[in-house]
Order: sequence, then C-alpha cells, then structure tokens
Amino acid sequence: MANSEFDWPAKPSLVGTRVNRVDGPDKVTGRAKYTFDINRPGMLYARMVRSPYPHARVVSVDLAPALRMPGVKTALLVRDFANSKNNRVMFQGDEIAAVAADTEEHAMDAARAVKVEYEVLPHVTIVERALDGTAPAVFNGGNVRDARPAQAGDLTAGFAAAAKVVEGTYSTQVITHTCMESHGTVCEWSGDRLTAWISTQGVSGARENFASALGIPQANVRVLCQYMGGGFGSKALSVGAEGLMCAKLAKAANAPVKLMLDRKEEHLATGNRPSAESKIKAGVSADGTITAFEAESWGTGGAGATSDFPLPYLYQSKNRSRTHKNVFTNTGQQRPMRAPGHPQGSFHTEIIMDELADQVNMDPIQFRIKNLPPEAPNAMWRSYLLEGAAEFGWSKRHATGDKTPGPIKTGMGVSINTWGGGGRGPSPAHCEITSDGGVIMRLGTQDIGTGTRTLVATITADALGLRASQVRPEIGDTAFGVSALSGGSTTAASISPGIRVAAVKALDALKEKVAPALGVPAASLIASGGRIHVENEPGKGMSWADACKQIGPQPITADGDWRAGMSSSTTSGAQFAEVAVDIETGIVKVKRILVLQDCGLVVSRLTAESQVYGGVIGSLNFALFEDRILDRNTGQMLNPNMEWYLLAGMSDIPRIDVRLKDQPERGVIGLGEPPTVATAAAIALAVRNATGVTMRSLPLTPAKVLGAMRQTRA
Amino acid sequence: MKAFAYINPANEKEAVAALSPQVEQSMPLGGGQDLLARMKDYVTQPERLVNVKTALESTVTPVGGGLRIGAAMKMADVAEHPEILRMYPAISAAAIEVGTPQIRNQATVGGNLNQRPRCWYYRNEEFVCFKKGGDRCFSPQGENQFHAILGAGPSFIVHPSSLAVPMLAYGATFRLAGPKGERLVPAANYFTLPRQSLRMENVLAPDELLTHVILPAPGNVKSGHYEVRYKASHDWPIAFATVLIAMNGSVVKEAKVVMGAVAPVPWRSAEAEQALVGKSITEATAAAAAEAAMKNARPLSQNGYKVDVAKTAVKRAILRAAGIQTA
Amino acid sequence: MAKKDDSPDGLKLDRRNFFKTTGLAGLAESIAAPAEAAAQSTPAAVGPGDVPVRLNVNGRQIDLMIEPRVTLLDALRTRANLTGNKKGCDRGACGACTMIVDGRPVYSCSTLAIEVQGKQIRNVDGLATGDRLHPVQQAFCEKDALMCGFCTPGFIMASVALLEKNPNATPEQIKKGLDGNICRCGTFSRIFEAVSSVKGGQRG
Repeated sequence: MANSEFDWPAKPSLVGTRVNRVDGPDKVTGRAKYTFDINRPGMLYARMVRSPYPHARVVSVDLAPALRMPGVKTALLVRDFANSKNNRVMFQGDEIAAVAADTEEHAMDAARAVKVEYEVLPHVTIVERALDGTAPAVFNGGNVRDARPAQAGDLTAGFAAAAKVVEGTYSTQVITHTCMESHGTVCEWSGDRLTAWISTQGVSGARENFASALGIPQANVRVLCQYMGGGFGSKALSVGAEGLMCAKLAKAANAPVKLMLDRKEEHLATGNRPSAESKIKAGVSADGTITAFEAESWGTGGAGATSDFPLPYLYQSKNRSRTHKNVFTNTGQQRPMRAPGHPQGSFHTEIIMDELADQVNMDPIQFRIKNLPPEAPNAMWRSYLLEGAAEFGWSKRHATGDKTPGPIKTGMGVSINTWGGGGRGPSPAHCEITSDGGVIMRLGTQDIGTGTRTLVATITADALGLRASQVRPEIGDTAFGVSALSGGSTTAASISPGIRVAAVKALDALKEKVAPALGVPAASLIASGGRIHVENEPGKGMSWADACKQIGPQPITADGDWRAGMSSSTTSGAQFAEVAVDIETGIVKVKRILVLQDCGLVVSRLTAESQVYGGVIGSLNFALFEDRILDRNTGQMLNPNMEWYLLAGMSDIPRIDVRLKDQPERGVIGLGEPPTVATAAAIALAVRNATGVTMRSLPLTPAKVLGAMRQTRA
Repeated sequence: MKAFAYINPANEKEAVAALSPQVEQSMPLGGGQDLLARMKDYVTQPERLVNVKTALESTVTPVGGGLRIGAAMKMADVAEHPEILRMYPAISAAAIEVGTPQIRNQATVGGNLNQRPRCWYYRNEEFVCFKKGGDRCFSPQGENQFHAILGAGPSFIVHPSSLAVPMLAYGATFRLAGPKGERLVPAANYFTLPRQSLRMENVLAPDELLTHVILPAPGNVKSGHYEVRYKASHDWPIAFATVLIAMNGSVVKEAKVVMGAVAPVPWRSAEAEQALVGKSITEATAAAAAEAAMKNARPLSQNGYKVDVAKTAVKRAILRAAGIQTA
Repeated sequence: MAKKDDSPDGLKLDRRNFFKTTGLAGLAESIAAPAEAAAQSTPAAVGPGDVPVRLNVNGRQIDLMIEPRVTLLDALRTRANLTGNKKGCDRGACGACTMIVDGRPVYSCSTLAIEVQGKQIRNVDGLATGDRLHPVQQAFCEKDALMCGFCTPGFIMASVALLEKNPNATPEQIKKGLDGNICRCGTFSRIFEAVSSVKGGQRG
C-alpha cells in the first residue's frame, strides 16, 4: 500500500513513549467524578429488593409497607409477578422490586420493609448433581445443554502412537468481577429526555439499551461516563436491571435517582466467570509430540447461561476430540470476564502439558515449542519462551520436586497466551483546533481505567507536535459521538486510526492558514516541538500559539474514522512464575513473574505497562485467592463481601517484570486482556515444580495444596 | 443498619448506667470494626449504642509486677507499647497482625476480646443459626473449612480474637463492671464452650463492660508466637499459637501452649504442655508436642487441613520460644 | 416475626453464677468502687432521628443534621459533597474509604460521623493545595500508580498517613502500611514504587 500521511510515523515524538496518564491529577485529587459521586439537586437514593432464595416462585409483592416508611417517594416492581407466567426468581439476588427515598438509609429501611411472599422451590447449584441427574429439574429443557462437539483426526490411532498417556481431571472456579466501583446509575428526566450517568464500559450501548427498554427514542437519551471504577466485562452488555429500575423510579418520582449496588449485590447479580471442569486424556510420542488429545469439559455459567472455553488452548494435536456441557444452575449469570474463556483454557491445557513433558523427560519449554500450532498469526511464542527462559534463569530450574531440605520448596513454571484485540469502525473522531491554541479531540468512547484518555491525547499531540497535556480529550458522553464499547481489547485498535486521521487533517488545515504568513507552501510545513515550521528549517516557522492565531473565529475542525493499515489483531505472550511453597502449611507465595507480551504498536507505554501488571495480578488472584463459595445445601453464597472473597493485597504481590515486545509495523493492537490469561497456569506449574505434586484445581488454597500432597503420599 | 440512639458517656460509671436500663438493646461501641459491620448485615440490631472509647481507660499501668491495660486501648497502641513488648512479647506479636493498619487504629482491646465469630453462617442473614435463635449449626453439613477442630459442638465456630490467645497464656484476668459492681474473671474462665453457652462466647452479661485486662508479672518465661494466615496482607489466621516456656537449664520446666482459630475458645493444650516438660526443645520434640496438641482433634468434612496447619503453628511457636529460627 | 439476629433474648442476667469467679485476693487494689445504682448519672441519648453533628474536615467546620447511624464516609460523600473517597465494600476490608482522623488512617465506612466530632479529619478532597499536588499524589501520577482510580484516594490517604508517621519507611513497612487497601485493577507494583519514591515528604 502506498505511504500515506496518516500512517504511523517512523519516529513518533510521543507515540510509544511514557506519557503520564492525563487524568491522573483528577483521580489523585478526588476531583474525578464517578457515577457513585454524582449528586444531583433533589436527588433520591434507590435500592433493589432481591430474592434471598436461589429458586422460588414470587407469590406476591406488597410495596405498601415500604411506601409508608419515612422519606420514601416511590416503589416499583421489576415485573408483575402475581399476574405473569414469568413469576420465578432463578438465583439468589434475582431482582424483584426497587424503592426510592430521600436518603440511602431510608431507602435501605424501605427495601427491607417490602413484603415478598415466596414459594421456595427446589434448586440446583451443585454441578455434579445437575450432571448425574440427581438435581431437581429446574430449567426448561433440562439443566444440562450439550455444546457442539469438535473432533479432528483419529484418536484411536493417536493413542496407539503414544509412548505415554496421561489422564487427569482439572477445574477452575467461578469468580466475580469485583469492580471497586459497583454497578449503578444516576437518572434524571427532563420531560421525556433522560440523562443517565452510569458506570459503564459503553456509553453508546447504554444509550441504546435505555432507549429500547424504556420505549423512547435514542435521541432522547444522553449517557455520561467520565470516570468509572472498573468493569472487566461486567459493565459492557447492558445497563442492568438496576439501570432500568433507576430510570423508571426517576420518572415515577419526578426527581433524579441514584441507584448504586452494594458489594453483596455485586457478587450475586452482576456477572461472573463461569466454572470449568475437564477430564483430559492425552498421549505423547517418545519424541515429544502430542499424538492425541481427548477432552470432555463442563461448567456452569449460572441460570441459563453458557460456560464454554477453548480446549486445548493453543497447543495442537492432529488427533483430538472435545465435548462440552453447559450446566445451568440457580446462580447469577455469567458475564464476559477479562479474556473470556482463555484463562480457563490456559489452565486446563498447561497443567497437562508439564505432566506430558515429564513423561518423556523433556524440558517444559522444549515440549511447548515442539507442540505450538504449526500455523498461527503472530506465532511469537517460540522466541518469547526462549528469550524469557534466559532472562528468568530457567536453566537453574530443577526437575519436578524441589529436593532442598526444609519446609520451603521453590519452583518455576511457564505458560503462553494469545488474544485478538483487533479494531474496526465506525469509530469516528472529531478534532477541533481553536484560535487560542486549544486542541479538542472528541469521540464517543470511554476510559474504563485502561488509559484511553491518555491514548487519545498522545496520538493527537504526537500528530500536532504538542505535549499530551495540551490536548483535551472529550470522551465518555454520547453527545460526543458514537463509539463501540470498551471490551475485547478492541478500543485502542478501533479508535487510534480515526484519532490520527482527524489530527492529521486538522493539522493540514492549520498548515493552510500558516503557510501564507510564512510565505512557504503548506506541504513544506511540519508540526514539531510546539512549533509549525518548514521541515529541516526549524527557524522558519512560528510557535503553536502564533500559528493558531491565524485561525480566526471559526475553529478548524476535522473528522477521521478507522481505516485499514493502522491496526491489526492477534497478540502473543509468554509468562514465567517462581513460587515458594511452605509444605507444612500449604501456603503458596509467588516470588516473581516475568511477562513477555506484544501488542503491535505501543501507543501509550506507561499505561500499557500498567495494563500488563494489572492483568498479571488479576490472574494471580484467580490462581490463589478468589472463589465464589456457595453453601452446598441452601445454594446461597457464603462470601459475598471482600473479607472472605479474597483478593491480593500489597504484601501478596510478587516482583513483576514486564517486557513489552514492540511491533510497530503491525499497527495498534489491544492489550487489556492478553496479560491476564496465562499467569495462573504458570503459578500452578511452579507449585508443581516446587512440591512435586500436580495441582489440577484452582484456587491453590492451603487446603488444596496440603490435600494434594497428602493424596500423592498415600 | 437499623437506626439507633447514641450515648457518649464520660466515664465508666456512666457507661455502665447507659447499658443497664435497656439491657439487651444497648450495646457498647468500641472501635466499631466488628459491631458496625454486624449491624450493616442485620446480624446485630441494637436500639442504642453506648460509646465506650472515652469512658473506659485506654492506657497501660504497672500493677503488682504486671500490667493493667485499659479495654479502650487501641490495637495499634498495644502493638507499639514498649512495656507490653518487653514483658509480654506474644501479645505484641499478636496485636501487630490483627487486621490492617486502619483496623488497628480503631480496634480496641475490649472489642477484640469480645468480638463475635467470623463464621459465615453467623454473618449471613439468610442462615438463622444457634447464635441467632435458630435450631442448628450449619457448618457440620456445610462449608466448614474455617471451622473448629477441637472442643466444638453444638456450635463449631472458632474464637476470632487474636489477643485472647496470648492473654490466656500469660494468665490474664479481665475486670468486668456492671450495675451490681465489678468482678474479676480469669481469662481461662471468661471464654465459654458452646456446650456451656450456645449463644455467647463468654460470660460477659449484656449489662456489663470489660474494662481492664490485668496481666500478672510474666516471670522468667520465654515467649513464642506463630500465626499462619493465607493472605499475608489481610486475613484471618488459619491457626496460631502462643507458647510460653520456663526452663530449668536446658530442659523445659513448665510450658503453656495456647492455640487460636482451632476451637470456640482460645484452646489450651495440656497434652502439648506435658509433651514438653522435661524435654529440651528441638525440631523433634517440638513436632512431638505439636502432634500431641492435635491428638484429640476432630476435623469436619472440609477442615482436616487445619490439623496440619495447627501442628505447624504449635511447633514453630515452640521453636520460636526457644529462640530457634523457623520458616 | 421474631428477630433472627443475635440479640440475647431471654438471656438470663444471672448466668454469671454458673461460672467460677476466682477470688483474686492476692491482686492489688480494686480499680474502682462498685458502680452505684443504675438510676444515677446517665448522659442523654441522641437520635435515632437526625441530630446535629459538627465535623472538622480538612481544616473546615461542617455542620450536618444526620442520624447517628450515618457513617463518616456517607456523611462526607452524600451530605457534604466531598466525594473524593469512595465506597468499595462498606465493611472495612477494601480501604477505598481511608481517611486520616487525628493523624491515624481509618476506614471511614466503619466509623460513625457522630463519634468523630472534635477530631481532625482529613480526606483526599483536602490534600492538594489548589493545583499543587501533595508529593504522594505527584508520585502516583509520575509512576502511573493508578488505573480506574477508584481505590486511589484511599491508597493515597493510607500512604500519606504512613509517611507522616514514618517518613523513611522501609520497603517492608511500606507494604505493611498499605496492606489495608485493595486494588482490583492491579496497580500495587506501581503504588509501591510511587510511595517508595517519596521520602521524608520530599521526592527522591
């Protein structure tokens, strides 16, 4: 393709460098207003009423006691249970009603006063019972749904060709997103126009969702989200029952209403990562080739939701088969959670990889290299594995089982990852340059903590020869335009091209204004170092401020959109972990993690690195700590809080070394999800290396580690 | 939480008086780190709170060769107090591990000793267990990975207090003040097993306040304290132990072994103590004493691992008391 | 319907008689004279409805009419429009609500507004001086010790309190000092770098 002025510059001034997060000062001072912080004049506070039972028929709901309570303005049903065929609640936390009152405390009192009459029904929450048929039949069409099976080659021949065969069962747990800012909305009507502040990953999608659910024109809805406290996939697909109820309460009360969920509601009813269990039988030839890979898997995504995941993950065998069962349970439905499917696939595959490697006395890295997919886009794993091994000190890794005397055993593990992260249009961006030197880059996207604002400012400033702080990104408001949701690691690749195009076009227009004043052709000018000047003649030019004075009262405006050639898709990574296990307590401590990760052209290096740290820590939490624990008898969640739903704190964090592998020629690719895929597997394999015991189930609690060691000794 | 009235008494007399007229509906508010959370979860719903932080003493006074600690003393101050560290190092060691810095800045000695169990059946409104007027303990048939392995039944909670264990080991006495006067209760008699008292974990009456911890002179003992918790940053211990030993030359003359997070009360192990007396302390004798401590352990379906962990805690506390390095 | 909470309904006041109360004659003087009859000197109870609460926040006096059950966090966020500190868990586990009260970091969600009258309360809203960031805030920006930012104010107040008490905190002390705060985005590594770079109130 011919070179274009829109192409990423060969020597960017800012793109790829470490630019301080442009909204850092707002966040560290508390000036940044999240949905939870929005206080509108005359605002009411709302609270949901939810089922405490995993499965029940709602016989009646009496809102009257709530309406009599102090400060209560209105109360509404989620639906008319008494007169509806749809009168069951299907999980603990399922929504029934909502109340609005003058204070949060009064709203809570009122919600508790709502009288709900339940007919408690038998429930299914234990996956094994759903599978063996001993659970009550709860779901129409059955509690279990088969996914489409997949196979290739000839398994029988594959196993016949195997020198060794390994069989195992593996499992990973349900975890919840646990965003620091809960889900919620502030809704305010002006006639038939709705303004909604919502903690969301997609303002445009939220606008559409509000409008269609409320039966009003989309043009009547404005959605704002300047700052939001984490989504991880749970705030992407809809405004939630709480969003809709908030809007309805605001209409009924004729007052703004804030409805933010609390931590218990978050755990119960705002999504989760499905569980995954598998029975795998794999064969390996003497030369280390996987000859057969037979996998049955299953898992629960909650009430009526799926749980599939890739298996095997990345490594391929010519002869393979896979079946998967989606088990429905009376629990909150799954929502995409950071790299959906990949963390499960990674763990369920990588563990058996080391078991197979041991069977043929191969080093785990060599074994992995031998079995990488023969053709894969951006197949960088071999190079990252070898480079990482050298940096990590892999040659010092002992064979399975640390023989050092004493209760502390150390070990190393490795794993690999992939992800798409490509972008697409429409992703329009609008650039304005005003005569006072101001620059606005306006688009409908949102910053969910990833640093999108900084990316917007960096690309713009880079094109205009400015500092990032001289650019005002305007995002997080449907008034600024339409854009896709921030999910799937698609944001950077989707919006970056349009931003650069708009900036370059705006600069072209500015050059046209400046050229006559300098007496040179516009095409001879460049923007660099805060000046517009003739290329290679810095003296022949003027400052940005002076250049903009040439603009006149009508600002320069320019529009851009996504175009091919500036972004692509598919990332690769490798991660190494070292752990120390105290075999007398079962406690695993992660000592260090090394990450090699590519993402094409790195736009904002500082925030990109932070994404990697964040993904790794998220996966460490998956490996060691998080678990949604249900009582096996009542099916209710026992740890809907942040005391027993464990998340790492400062003293639990290892040394993490991040090595971004720049690939500027590939254009922009997303990075949010890739780094969170593989850490858990690397940690579990390090535990295996340390203790000599294969950990096949997450999280790696002391109970599990001690239990596995006990079983191995028996 | 439910709305409540609030009283801020100026001294102990006023505080006791404030509890009495509405007994069972008034509760003392110390650091609030336990009570307020219980109230937010509607586990505890008092009609009024009596702030005791100014009414009770929060200082350390030397008394009879030992120390008297005011129940309103903050955990952070206990952890940093030089005399407590010098005389009762296991108490310091326990105090610094409680919760987080923020919790330690609010939590009081009295509140820590009297806090209610962490059991998730007790703490979740949906489960009406023995301690909430119900007719069962949900843990034996349910999720009991954090429940008791010793001394339990019909409730299987583990006592949640970190301070109770070393205080019991050092022979603490608690001063209680009520409308009829004061009484002094040794720590060993203060905490009650479920078969003695199903709903409450101690003998404190609803109209009484725990005002002081009185520690006798420590004597010539060496202290060891070891806690095992999963998350290093902020977690409840899986098991922990305080061990005090008085030596006769190189062998143990007397020992106190008290375990935490294994039983509904801080658990003193006569078996472990007997296994130490007359022995010199080595990895082997410490391990044997730890084994003895678990002789009568009765794990539930999910908490067998606690036996291993408790053994490790006891063994390492013994070794630390002897000045031997441990993991 | 009977209350299904842990109120000791029917708990006998005399159950103390079941248990031995060891005579401790050997112990030194009694600490206080026996309390007199309950009828004497009880201060007045306030609430449960709205009562005047005066708070000293960031050096300014704030007068509120709130119920005793309102936490310090909610009082500031919903009645004083000081929304800098956040509500993450409301149970004293996540640290997003961390404020400094009389020099000590505390969970403001686990503190009643009414019980911190007369104390010096500082939260993130008062930390910067106009546009001049506190060294800790500046360090967070430079090391990119934040992502979504929701936990950030709590971490910043915990860090400020830590360094004010211990300006030359060791790595171990920094970690332990921040163990009361949780970040879901995973900024711990850079928070540690940021706080480590602020020594004795200076940047270094």
